[in-house]
Amino acid sequence: MKRVELIVIGGGPAGLSAAIEAAKTGMDVVVFDENAKPGGQLFKQIHKFFGSKEHKAKIRGYKIGQELLAEAQETGVKVVLKATVIGIYEGKEVTVMIGDAIEHYKADTIIVATGASENMVTFPGWTLPGVIGAGAAQTMMNLHGVRPGQKVLMLGSGNVGLVVSYQLLQAGCEVVALVDAAKQVGGYGVHAAKLARCGVNFYLSHTIVKAEGEEQVTGVTIGAVDQNWKVIPGSEKQFEVDTICLAVGLSPMSQLLKVAGCKMIDDPKRGGTVPTVNQYGETSVNGIFAAGDVSGIEEASSAMIEGRIAGAAAAYALGYLTKEAFEMKFKNSEDALNALRQGMFGPENKGRKDLTMTEEGILLSQSLLKKGYLAEPEVTAFPGVKTKIKGIHPVIECTQNIPCNPCQDACVKGCIKIGDHITALPIVGEDSACSGCGMCVAACSGQAIFLVDENTETGYANITIPYEFLPLPEKGELGKALDRSGTAVCQAEIVGIKSAKAMDHTNLLTMKVPANMAMTARFYKAMG
Amino acid sequence: MNKIIDRSIDLGPYWPQEDDDLIICRCEEVTKGEIRKAVHEGMVTLTEIRRYLRTGMGLCQGQTCAKLVKNIVARELKIAPNELESAVSRAPARPVEMRVLANEVITGGENHE
Repeated sequence: MKRVELIVIGGGPAGLSAAIEAAKTGMDVVVFDENAKPGGQLFKQIHKFFGSKEHKAKIRGYKIGQELLAEAQETGVKVVLKATVIGIYEGKEVTVMIGDAIEHYKADTIIVATGASENMVTFPGWTLPGVIGAGAAQTMMNLHGVRPGQKVLMLGSGNVGLVVSYQLLQAGCEVVALVDAAKQVGGYGVHAAKLARCGVNFYLSHTIVKAEGEEQVTGVTIGAVDQNWKVIPGSEKQFEVDTICLAVGLSPMSQLLKVAGCKMIDDPKRGGTVPTVNQYGETSVNGIFAAGDVSGIEEASSAMIEGRIAGAAAAYALGYLTKEAFEMKFKNSEDALNALRQGMFGPENKGRKDLTMTEEGILLSQSLLKKGYLAEPEVTAFPGVKTKIKGIHPVIECTQNIPCNPCQDACVKGCIKIGDHITALPIVGEDSACSGCGMCVAACSGQAIFLVDENTETGYANITIPYEFLPLPEKGELGKALDRSGTAVCQAEIVGIKSAKAMDHTNLLTMKVPANMAMTARFYKAMG
Repeated sequence: MNKIIDRSIDLGPYWPQEDDDLIICRCEEVTKGEIRKAVHEGMVTLTEIRRYLRTGMGLCQGQTCAKLVKNIVARELKIAPNELESAVSRAPARPVEMRVLANEVITGGENHE
């Protein structure tokens, strides 16, 4: 039996952060992860994160993963891969399966950061090959370079469903429909808008009736549901698909904590069976902590902070941190966590369907919630959208109180204001001094910022859009401009393409469209 | 573990439902109908269901079906799913071959307690 001061179970965002924080104090730390690669879900998250600088906003998930791994190495964390923890016993004894043998450890403190697994829903045909979790599709695409299918139907309009659908499009799949039994889009509106302007149709208040196929999925039938979640007869629609992705929530993988004898509760708001924890993530068993999704489903940014808190608490428990040092670390982390948990998507507001206004008192876009895109008359109600400005200026179609502010930092001219309240909607000043650099467009994790020159001298408007598809069009190419719903509205000519290292793979396409399309054209599609 | 379930409640007769043949536990191929029937036969905790039908005893160890089974049992008992205690968790938390489980690495004397 080997003795270790801290055993961290799970090498994802929470586990690695916890290990780093503890190892920094001089503690002896081992991370066990059952996968072949550490980093948990971070390495398949190719999108930019929300939040502020301290939350690593506008950095893509896999880069955050690389940073964490480098930090872990520097601080002397020992990461053991393909190591499955199979039991936690009294006195913090831990058994780990490594290769074809069991190794026995005794820890002084344990941090469980085992994350979550995907939920499933059942319908006739749900066991057919081709019905997969959205996370599985993401793993196939972004870790293994395998396209999960050609024609995909996505069930679930939460952030996972929206983000993975977009990544399916990026991988060259066709997303034939995005279906959700709820009445409104569950995830961030900006993620939904990205899909809508690519032409993905949203079917809210719909569910899957059955999957068709003998050997594998060949089609799917969906139907509208009534208030009692029953399918309304005659409302069925059929799609030809080879893949059905399910993005219907996550469940904490908390079995090890239960094995260890921690007090558990079933909290639907946190995703299922979770340990009861104090503000440091410590469970009812002294010296056993939980961090990340295992103690309640949130996202990677908050998991990393929870990990840091638990890591510092473990260090404090063993005397590696003074009370003052620990309290200061905790206060900073808690502030960062509280900032992330604000806004209409914070845990307190989770699942609320009665929100009708933003914090600023602006009516929420009903079109966004029902169809996935902003209706044209609604757009101008928001403080990031100013029209009739001469010359180039940013148009920020950010309409929900999301904790995020990189756009404010991106503009050196100070055209964009959010202020200290991180969930406030960005404001574009009337006297915008925009130079057209496009850094705000590239910095927006929600791809919700456009540069618009409403009327160039020639009676045309120039629209600069964020573009994350390959291949890039060429300058001078003629194509179609699409509106927010993905409908082709006019001809567009590509007059500029900007790709810079600082933009981190968000390319800027500038397209020339007739001047009256300035507030309509929001996406570009090559012809043919 | 300490919740007491009232076993005297009359659940009424078992009526077949249209989707009773739907597979819920894929590993052990247990259908929705079998789970519903088991409730009427007196299996009202998830641990009882698991022992009676082997739901969650397969390769995935309930990772896929545990929540689905919970919802079906809760609906049959006409209670909220979170009123039902999850089935017991015990080591090994992942499927392990017996030859591996029995193969413990014995480390050198200096590390021994």
